[in-house]
Amino acid sequence: MMVRSTIEPKTLADHRWARFFTYGLTVALFAHSTSASESPDFERDIGPLLIRHCLECHNDNAETGGLSLSSHERLRQGGDNGLILLDKSLVDSPLLQRVLAGEMPPPKDDEPTSITPQEIDLLKRWVTAGANWPNERVLDPYEQTTDARAGRDWWSLQPIVRPDMPTQQGTDLSGNPIDAFIRRGLAKRDWKPAPPTDRRTLLRRVTYDLIGLPPTLDEYAAFEQDESPAAYEHVVDRLLASPHFGERWGRYWLDLVRYADTCGYERDQEKTNAWKYRDWVIQAINDDMPYDQFVLAQLAGDELPDRDESTVIATGFLRLGTWNDEPNDPQEYKFERLEDMVHATSTAFLGLTVKCARCHDHKFDPIPQTDYYRMASAFWAGHIEPRDRAHLGGPSADELGFNVFGWTDRGRDVPPLHLLKNGDAKHPGPVVEPGQLTAVSFLDTSISPPPEDAATTHRRLQLAHWITDTRNPLTARVLVNRLWQHHFGKGLVRTPNNFGFNGDEPTHPELLDWLANELMHSSGQETRDKSQEPFATSQQPIAISQKPWTLKRLHKLIAMSKTYQQSSNHPHHEQYTATDPGNHLWWRAERRRLDADAMRDSLLVASGQLDLTPGGPGFKPSIDPEALEGLSKKGAAWQASPTEEQRRRSIYTYLQRSLLPPLLTVFDQQDTTLPCGRRDVTTVAPQALALMNNAFVHEQSRVLATRIAEQVTSLDEQIQLAWQHVLSRDPSESEHIAALAHVQSQTTRFQQSAEETEAPSLMALTSLCHVLMNTNEFLYVD
Amino acid sequence: MSQRTNFPCGQTRREFVWEMGAGFAGTALTAMLAGDGFLPQMQASESPAVGTDGLMPKRSHHPTPIKSVIFLMMNGAPSQVDTFDYKPELEKYAGKDLPPDKEFINSGGRKKGFLTPAWRPFRPGGESGLLISDYFPNVRKHADKLAVINSCHTDSHAHGSALVAMNTGKTFIGRPSLGSWAVYGLGTENQDLPGYVVILDKRGGPISGQPNWSSGFMSAAYSGTLFRPTGTPILDLAGPKHLDRTAQREQLDLLAKLNHEHLSSRKGGQQLVDRINSYELAYRMQAAAPEAVELSRETQQTQDAYGIGQQPTDEYGRNCLIARRLVERGVRFVQLYSGGGHLEETWDAHESIEKNHGRHGAEVDQPIAALLADLEQRGLLESTLIIWGGEFGRMPFSEGKDAPGRNHNPYGFSMWLAGGGVKGGIKYGETDEFGFEAVTDRVHLHDLHATILHLMGLDHELLTYFHQGRKESLTDVGGKVVEGVLA
Repeated sequence: MMVRSTIEPKTLADHRWARFFTYGLTVALFAHSTSASESPDFERDIGPLLIRHCLECHNDNAETGGLSLSSHERLRQGGDNGLILLDKSLVDSPLLQRVLAGEMPPPKDDEPTSITPQEIDLLKRWVTAGANWPNERVLDPYEQTTDARAGRDWWSLQPIVRPDMPTQQGTDLSGNPIDAFIRRGLAKRDWKPAPPTDRRTLLRRVTYDLIGLPPTLDEYAAFEQDESPAAYEHVVDRLLASPHFGERWGRYWLDLVRYADTCGYERDQEKTNAWKYRDWVIQAINDDMPYDQFVLAQLAGDELPDRDESTVIATGFLRLGTWNDEPNDPQEYKFERLEDMVHATSTAFLGLTVKCARCHDHKFDPIPQTDYYRMASAFWAGHIEPRDRAHLGGPSADELGFNVFGWTDRGRDVPPLHLLKNGDAKHPGPVVEPGQLTAVSFLDTSISPPPEDAATTHRRLQLAHWITDTRNPLTARVLVNRLWQHHFGKGLVRTPNNFGFNGDEPTHPELLDWLANELMHSSGQETRDKSQEPFATSQQPIAISQKPWTLKRLHKLIAMSKTYQQSSNHPHHEQYTATDPGNHLWWRAERRRLDADAMRDSLLVASGQLDLTPGGPGFKPSIDPEALEGLSKKGAAWQASPTEEQRRRSIYTYLQRSLLPPLLTVFDQQDTTLPCGRRDVTTVAPQALALMNNAFVHEQSRVLATRIAEQVTSLDEQIQLAWQHVLSRDPSESEHIAALAHVQSQTTRFQQSAEETEAPSLMALTSLCHVLMNTNEFLYVD
Repeated sequence: MSQRTNFPCGQTRREFVWEMGAGFAGTALTAMLAGDGFLPQMQASESPAVGTDGLMPKRSHHPTPIKSVIFLMMNGAPSQVDTFDYKPELEKYAGKDLPPDKEFINSGGRKKGFLTPAWRPFRPGGESGLLISDYFPNVRKHADKLAVINSCHTDSHAHGSALVAMNTGKTFIGRPSLGSWAVYGLGTENQDLPGYVVILDKRGGPISGQPNWSSGFMSAAYSGTLFRPTGTPILDLAGPKHLDRTAQREQLDLLAKLNHEHLSSRKGGQQLVDRINSYELAYRMQAAAPEAVELSRETQQTQDAYGIGQQPTDEYGRNCLIARRLVERGVRFVQLYSGGGHLEETWDAHESIEKNHGRHGAEVDQPIAALLADLEQRGLLESTLIIWGGEFGRMPFSEGKDAPGRNHNPYGFSMWLAGGGVKGGIKYGETDEFGFEAVTDRVHLHDLHATILHLMGLDHELLTYFHQGRKESLTDVGGKVVEGVLA
């Protein structure tokens, strides 16, 4: 297993440099361990050296110069330029001389060759001692991690072992396991976590976090008055049981699976019934469906023994990608579709960039090109053959057995899939047998033929079983990291869709593994903290399933941790930031901007207009005519839904790929063509323009002002209500004074413009509400 | 043993720093370095976040006179043999079949007709004597400025994917467009205007819509901004009428006060500060953008030259003049669509070349010529790159006996470049004698993109964006700069 750096870098920002230096140091230690007199050990010294510096270009698949250094036989065989070992004068062997001359390994990107003098010395002693090579030993370029790529010993590919809970002295281990791991990290530096955040902030944070909506005024009041130690836990339980929980967390999943309601391209046809998949996701999350079932249904819901309409709806996952009804070459287009499915599957469930291996062996991860095609075989049997446009590139409702937008195979037997040289359909290579990724070396990688009575190949089912095998090292790690990321703003692994070499490494590997293990093997402990519950409460605890692979108990564990509940302000902010600007030690909470969906929903909440009707076909928001000019069919192609329907939550927006709603896209709504594991958070002027001028925002301000004016007549009270509705609090005195001045001044101004139809005072109050909806306080969650 | 001494995805330090925006104005870089820790931030940044300073001007890879690009997009695909690729042999072969060894996909399963000569005569233009047809008599006067590439070829015969390919390099949607790469690589000179502006034809957008000017997997900050040629050009640039500039100023003053009060009790509020600043930027943009389309500030003579106020040149004339005003004001990339919607509303001349190209040619010829002349006269031509062309070309044969239209042709077509760094008055590459497919010095659209980036001072292999574990680029694994068109 790859050993991680143990040297404490001066600052966390130096981490990568530190690894570089650690590497040099370790090599030096290696050299020391082999004293000059003894000949180097192949397994300890030479194999790793060859893999690190030579095998990338000289292996059995990539024989640069006709040379492979993967076996004794090939070593002896030499390359295009002849032998590389000269038995008569070993020291003159090209293998050694090319290295001594600095020609090999070749300098990369203008940087000098990476082999160290100690390594050269090892190589020299090995060659001159006869270049001994253990019998039958074949070096595999993927067997170990080098400075250029990950091997099968890469951290994320190792079995998940439940780590012991931290027990060091001086570490505050009270509370929840998450805090134990986080506080151990802080204690190592003598750091303290931020103090607990105040109750208002906590309620707002957890409510947005779990259901994507702000707390109501009543909820604030109830929480602030509830002095029971279990008050917060009750809030968490209530939110986890809310039907809006699935809407919030379902949105994250929809981003990941490139959800949209249309196909894209010229005709941009509607993916009929795609919304049933969206509703299925929301329901599954609300029902706390175990994640293994969640995966099985999406990849192979049509192949399950207990298949039903809902599991077939789930297979829509495979069909959500863009689809071009008029590809340049329909035969070649099949391979683009395979790539889409391989990419969505490996990204969403495994956090691996398998698609990079379509054209060549993966440059950074242990994924040979054949593995891409082994995985692609699972989808090769589907309806990717060119067929009538009306089928939208997939099976018909008849073939599915239900009137849904799902996926199934064409049959149980399909033609063989050839590896494509350079990924090019015009250059088929050898046939590749279906199989699982070899990167996970300790799991069976074979795929069996389908059972006698099967109507499909059962390849997707086997793929899904392999993914949900509790020994699979990626699935649970990737998933718990996603949960963590959405709760905390950043993941333990900061690259949620890439757990490979080019991804980030976990800030707390043991915590990641603890959570992953807990996901799969529920410890079954009631997460309710009984010790803090001395009083009987009138609220009934809401039961949360303790079954393996269920998620709500993990959400709760996270939300109940002190780490989650800490403030985003830390008394030592400047000091800690200087060392750990990225908050890798989780010493404070991250301040977060509302995402596009939560922002739009919150505007509707503020105006009192939000319609919480769940499910069903999406609504089409009104879009400014000037934005509709971007459609080749202009306005004719977009019929906005009735105004009442447009007040539904953003997750129910109809997502047309050729025209995503500008108000959402400007706030970094996900691109729908590729899996999105984390939305951007940009701050640009067009966002300010949108909130200042967009008709939807003005409408919400106007509605709110009208409501307020109907409720109370004194300006002081109106200002107070405006604050309460938009920011859920009363204005401070100075805010009140400024607001008063604003309304009065705007009233005078509007009185002077004769053409207005509304009362100037109402327009001025609208102006105030509008300003409040533009504030940072409205848009950011501490 | 962890031994990752490399930068993400095997980048050299130079590229790595490039991506992080080493070319940003100094303070922005300092802020960024201090922001989230240089290296860990990059590790985590599959898509680096963009603040209000993410569009500040950046250094190019190599020196170039070019500051801005104007892409004259002939949506629907003009016919090369009727415009810029003179094929006298077609007279000889008129009415005959294309030889059977010429393989092609007959897009849309249309009728395959007979070889048909150019519908209008070609004549020499300028001192170079470049042959240009009578569909472009005014552009012909500027022949000495043009580098006509006759050997273009692309990857799709269907509008939907070919348009996306011309704009993003690939036939499938979801990748950043050329203009996004430009503002990602170079930022933009005028923060009060969008860096990448797209003006559509009033008849509609291009097929496939938004993905044609999308920033794909890059941050949305780099996506194209649709610009309307009149009034308030940008979406949401103005609010309701009663909120005039002073009323809005009053709102912004209150907003700033509330935001500063909010900020004062919070630590590490850079993002809050950025957002406060973004309102001031937006406020300035509200003034700057309408001013940019205020054509009444131009002399009558200039307006007349562009054909403004006359038909059929008024619309494209306005757009071309706006383009000049935008590049004058430091906008990095402007794309002007000619043709919108479908079929004959675009250059998609299935029915009749003469009718279609006669119509669209007359709409754009004078405005384009005026743009070239105007830029030259103001000394802006040297700092501007003009690109003209469609998403593919058209077949040298008709769509049936005596049928006057032509079908799609991705195998050979013409585009031209003009402006700074471009060798004027030349033809580059050739199609076969029929004008059917590129045969000599073939220029794939990746080559074209590499050349455009090169002219902008960017190396298409170095201009990369790290996404999902891979360094993505506009030209992917292909692309070669077409040296033959460089001055």
